[in-house]
Amino acid sequence: MRVEFTVNGHAVAADDVWPGESLLFVLRERLGLPGSKNACEQGECGSCTVYLDDVTVCACLVAAGQAAGRRVRTVEGLAAQPARAGAGAAGADGGVGEAGGIGADGRAGGAAVAAGPGSALGARGDTAAGGAAGADTGQRDPDAERLSPVQRAFLEEGAVQCGFCTPGLLVQAHDLVARTVGAGGPVPGDAHIREALAGNLCRCTGYQAIVAAVRRAAEREHARLAGQERP
Amino acid sequence: MTPGPAPTAPAAPPPSAPGSAPPAGERAAEPAGGGVGDSPPRPDGTLKVTGEFAYSSDLWAENMLWGMTLRSPHPHARIVRVDTAPALRLPGVHAVLTHEDVPGEPRYGLEVRDQPVLAAETVRYRGEPVAVVAADHPETARRALERIVVDYEVLEPVCDARRAAFDPDCPLVHPPGSVPLRPEHNPRGNVLRHQPIRTGDLARGRTVADLRERADVVVTGSYEVGMQDQACLGPESGLAVPAEDGGVDLYVATQWLHADQRQIAPCLGLPPELVRVTLAGVGGAFGAREDLSMQVHACLLALRTGRPVKIVYNREESFYGHVHRHPAHLRFEHGAAADGRLLYAALEIVLDGGAYASTTPAVVGVAASLGLGPYEIPHAAVDAYGVYTTNPPCGAMRGFGAVQACFGYESQMDRLAEALDMDPVEVRLRNAVGRGSVLPTGQRIDAPLPMAEMLERARALPMPPPPEAAPGRVDPLALPGGAGGAGVGASVVRGVGYGVGLKNLCFSEGFDDHSTARVRLEVVGGVPVALVHTAAAEVGQGLVTLQEQIARTELGVRRVALHPADTSVGSAGSSSASRQSHMTGGAVKAACEAVRARVVALARARGLLAGEGGGAVGGADGGVRLAADCLVPPGGAAPVPLAEVLGDAVVEETREFRHRPTSPLDPVTGQGSSHAQLGMCVHRAVVDVDVELGLVRVVALDAVQEVGRALHPRQLVGQIHGGATQGLGLALMEEVQVADGVIRNPSFTDYLIPTVLDVPPMRVEVLEHADPQAPYGLRGAGEPPTLSATPAVVAAVRAATGRPLTRVPLRPEDIALP
Amino acid sequence: MNPFDYRRAEDAAGAAAMVADNPAAAFLGGGTNLVDHMKLGVAAPEVLVDITHLPMDEVEALPEGGVRIGANVRNSDLAAHPLIRRRYPVLSQALLSGASGQLRNLATTAGNLLQRTRCVYFQDTSTPCNKREPGTGCSALEGYQRYHAILGASPDCVAVHPSDMAVALTALDAQVVVQDAATERRVPIARLHRLPGEAPEHDTVLNHGDLITAVELPDMPMAVHARYRKVRDRASFAFALVSVAAAMSLGADGSVSDVRIALGGVAHKPWRALRAEEALRDGPATEERFAAAARAELAEARPLPGNTFKVALARSAITATLRQVHAEARGGDGHGGPGGHGEEQR
Repeated sequence: MRVEFTVNGHAVAADDVWPGESLLFVLRERLGLPGSKNACEQGECGSCTVYLDDVTVCACLVAAGQAAGRRVRTVEGLAAQPARAGAGAAGADGGVGEAGGIGADGRAGGAAVAAGPGSALGARGDTAAGGAAGADTGQRDPDAERLSPVQRAFLEEGAVQCGFCTPGLLVQAHDLVARTVGAGGPVPGDAHIREALAGNLCRCTGYQAIVAAVRRAAEREHARLAGQERP
Repeated sequence: MTPGPAPTAPAAPPPSAPGSAPPAGERAAEPAGGGVGDSPPRPDGTLKVTGEFAYSSDLWAENMLWGMTLRSPHPHARIVRVDTAPALRLPGVHAVLTHEDVPGEPRYGLEVRDQPVLAAETVRYRGEPVAVVAADHPETARRALERIVVDYEVLEPVCDARRAAFDPDCPLVHPPGSVPLRPEHNPRGNVLRHQPIRTGDLARGRTVADLRERADVVVTGSYEVGMQDQACLGPESGLAVPAEDGGVDLYVATQWLHADQRQIAPCLGLPPELVRVTLAGVGGAFGAREDLSMQVHACLLALRTGRPVKIVYNREESFYGHVHRHPAHLRFEHGAAADGRLLYAALEIVLDGGAYASTTPAVVGVAASLGLGPYEIPHAAVDAYGVYTTNPPCGAMRGFGAVQACFGYESQMDRLAEALDMDPVEVRLRNAVGRGSVLPTGQRIDAPLPMAEMLERARALPMPPPPEAAPGRVDPLALPGGAGGAGVGASVVRGVGYGVGLKNLCFSEGFDDHSTARVRLEVVGGVPVALVHTAAAEVGQGLVTLQEQIARTELGVRRVALHPADTSVGSAGSSSASRQSHMTGGAVKAACEAVRARVVALARARGLLAGEGGGAVGGADGGVRLAADCLVPPGGAAPVPLAEVLGDAVVEETREFRHRPTSPLDPVTGQGSSHAQLGMCVHRAVVDVDVELGLVRVVALDAVQEVGRALHPRQLVGQIHGGATQGLGLALMEEVQVADGVIRNPSFTDYLIPTVLDVPPMRVEVLEHADPQAPYGLRGAGEPPTLSATPAVVAAVRAATGRPLTRVPLRPEDIALP
Repeated sequence: MNPFDYRRAEDAAGAAAMVADNPAAAFLGGGTNLVDHMKLGVAAPEVLVDITHLPMDEVEALPEGGVRIGANVRNSDLAAHPLIRRRYPVLSQALLSGASGQLRNLATTAGNLLQRTRCVYFQDTSTPCNKREPGTGCSALEGYQRYHAILGASPDCVAVHPSDMAVALTALDAQVVVQDAATERRVPIARLHRLPGEAPEHDTVLNHGDLITAVELPDMPMAVHARYRKVRDRASFAFALVSVAAAMSLGADGSVSDVRIALGGVAHKPWRALRAEEALRDGPATEERFAAAARAELAEARPLPGNTFKVALARSAITATLRQVHAEARGGDGHGGPGGHGEEQR
């Protein structure tokens, strides 16, 4: 069947979808958006957390058909455009670097291997696979400018280790910040942060840096909004 | 470290004990600018927060097929018949392979080649691979599996590790002589390694009974450790791509690329150079990826179909598809004098290795050699056994045999303190090892190991505020049981407990432990760039960051690039045993030093460096330095830009790094300097226990760890947090439930790991007494906190409840019920 | 997962008819349970009738004093609803003690009521299970029993109902509004779920095609002081070993004038503890009588070898919860505000 919905602000359609496929499978394997992760595929780990309309859900438990006509926002849609993934999702410019390079520096190229399928949404050849940590690792990251506050804070606090839980946590944390300081409320306390993240498992960090990152993002957003309010 | 956040700010460097600073010459760079000692951002961080980092399960290739594995439903059975024809007839199925399709070696193994690629005659654990399929959609592959007919004749399972070890009538899991066990490991029956240790009078013909009479107090305990799972969030997965030269390119999440290559190639009947392995993004490892999982299967299917094949386990399959931490049965006896000085110890350690050896022999060696823990005990008898059963195979997990032993010896220290009516810290202080102490293997501790100082620091850490005095306004999340509302008021009792863990770092027992680094320096776009190439697996720990820091420090360059980790460079060894900072860090440092020497020579040859210069480049002692993209001559001469020195030259050097040699353990006496380096962590746990309902809330889990040198303070503290949390999980909730050889909780619904609500804020204090044997004086940090957290939490619950609590994980009924 | 047809119903009666007409059809609500079971092969419906867009998503006060909860109200919205937090905080507590924020955002009221057991054998299609495949046997009788029933089980099934919400609703005397293709009827919550008996494949008394459209809560002043307590192996996101929902009202002399107690994690259905209620009602509110009431309820417990501990644990949990609600009813030296805290208002 054909399923049409919007992802990160762009209308998309997936064809030949088996009715049994999950939204997660459609995102990862048909739309070239593998950022949402497949750690348990049973709704128990939160690594596939996405926005479905205005609330966060586990994409692995949403039947693809249930997403029809809805708005989906994934980790790829958190950063300001033009995010690479967002550009890929839009299929707009197709400017996605040298295709098939598994290493960001192209040295280990060879196999046409990429993250996620080539699809209507564009090839993802610029994505570094595996140990390829990125070619130029000068300390100032030009991408950092476009990151959302939670993304920046996760990097600054060391909340990312293996990173497999990170996309789901970022979406969940993004939602918390939006619903608290983003809605004019105070910076959430640690207990509130922990309760909001209780559905996201992390095996690497012990959560301390994650809680600190969410707090930092909320504080920063709070300060930014307070600054805007001043005459 | 002060409470809460990691010691990231340069303004608050980790406190060092007086006199503990590493030699000045080792500080080749200021701890700023992204070099050693700084906490620069992870090079893979932005990709990871934008969802663009490609994990092994994210890979995709044109024309790709999906592989899937048929697994045994029985823990022990003979395979009578396999019929793959019905599966092959399903449209969309491209290959169905059994053991008959394995062209090369039918078995592989990390230490012992005993594990079939696909089971031939016998299955020895529930979940053992029997056949693999490749199809055009995962759902097609799943249906193909359903159509494969396998007739089994069910055999008696061997589920009880103690029976497997000691009952001569127990059925054998492997026929005698069918697996290549090493004679020096004392194999016998189902025992694949028995490692004894005898010291003092117990090595001189006296018995434990003799010593028991000489002790003022004797404590004995039987302890059990349940089977823990690494629970990496990233599932086992990878993509095999057939190559035109008849070989295969494998992109996979692993801990050790070359060990994969070494095991895969013979099974495929290919020379190693035709099996090229590249690291794909790794979603956590913790030991689970040291053994092969889907590697050979994906390669077989790719070579058979001529198409790329991707295999991704789901969570249930992941529980069957990787090794676990060995469950352990411990019987410990300790005798001491009335003043608390330990006299003797007699230990029996039985580790359930499951159906195949994996790393069980090495785990036995660690459990035996560290079974006494960090205590001076003049007379000791240790017997550690690793056995085959038909339970799920067990192998590496963070802590590697030392975790199980640590729960035993630390429980015994608390018992001893109770028997002597002595403070638990005091008992530990009386017997603490330090530099110069001798381990029961005869190995002398020749690096600083300030255990007494660490204990005192842990004891001096500020305590969390007492449980809420006014129950009317208690935050329910601050009570045992969390938002469930359990754990209220008067039934909540606080307890405090300590744990000390001693862990060997790097590979032990004579293993040729080494790592390789290739470093190239060249000018790109007018700027000097160092390219670092190793085969070391970044599994989340941040090794990629460290490699860059070392290159910046040693070469004085701002820009460093990392080549993808693959097998086109020499082995880096495994990302395990807390060894990569030391080993690959050492290799990168050595390669950089070689590059630097050539750069200096080049400068000299080009007349850019007057005179002969200093010999000790890189140091602050008057030699030539590389800094800020420049070559800095001695004596205040003007720096020369590296771009100018290099011109078009490409300077590349490859170096292997080895730690000092270690010795095997004597198979009879257990003597031998088996360890290259030791690490230690002390934990203090504070818990609130609802003694009525058996619920525990860990209020604080604070650590003091000796790290030698903090190369990246923020990442280092992250390792300690994460390691401690896995120890907390083992203490309170994590257990793979195996009933009659079958895993009963292969999901994250039923196998519980700590959530953010189960883990308290963790204070970490880092000591830096440099180890002169190691690069920069560092010690690996990932494992020691996993050891010490478990007994600390259990000790705290014991303190709150007065119960013996001899088995982990603790359950509500262990705590609350008669 | 087997292929299936995906449809959307126009209205409740139409949805009921679509499912009633096809034995292999099923309603699709939030999907958190059904989609998972389809992946596991536990459920294999041929037609899924999506009802999530039907207008059953309001929480509204009823004229006679109760509250009506639409079947499609999401668990997170229900837990955060001011009417619920103010008048039935036990329901908020129960909801927030279950699953995770992401799942509560998807899961519906009716779906939560109808979620199926988490018995490991029910979920493992390679093992016999009378609930999944009638007549194949019960693997749990000889297997892993930690999370299994101690009350009301049968030789055919020892599974427990996994819902926290349903336990609170049971203590609150909720009525379940059921629509079939023709008519609407009300089923008291205590009669919605069944004991397994010889037909464990049936979780409830509903017929195939019956659609739950709403749940109605009666006016119950003592519910303001009701509490939910849950004993589990992890502080969040874990199923109950034992849970208790209880409410109590006191007479002028401090004696127990009325009480409601329901248990989770102990039986094939949310377990209304009528014996304990009976033992307590119209007598002094003392620790001894709380313990006696707990003993009375569990006198009939028949634990399995692997879960004998749950009898004592349930006794302790009942006693502790009664102590707490008694304190609440006397004027609140229990803890916390309604619905726990930390849950953002939606």
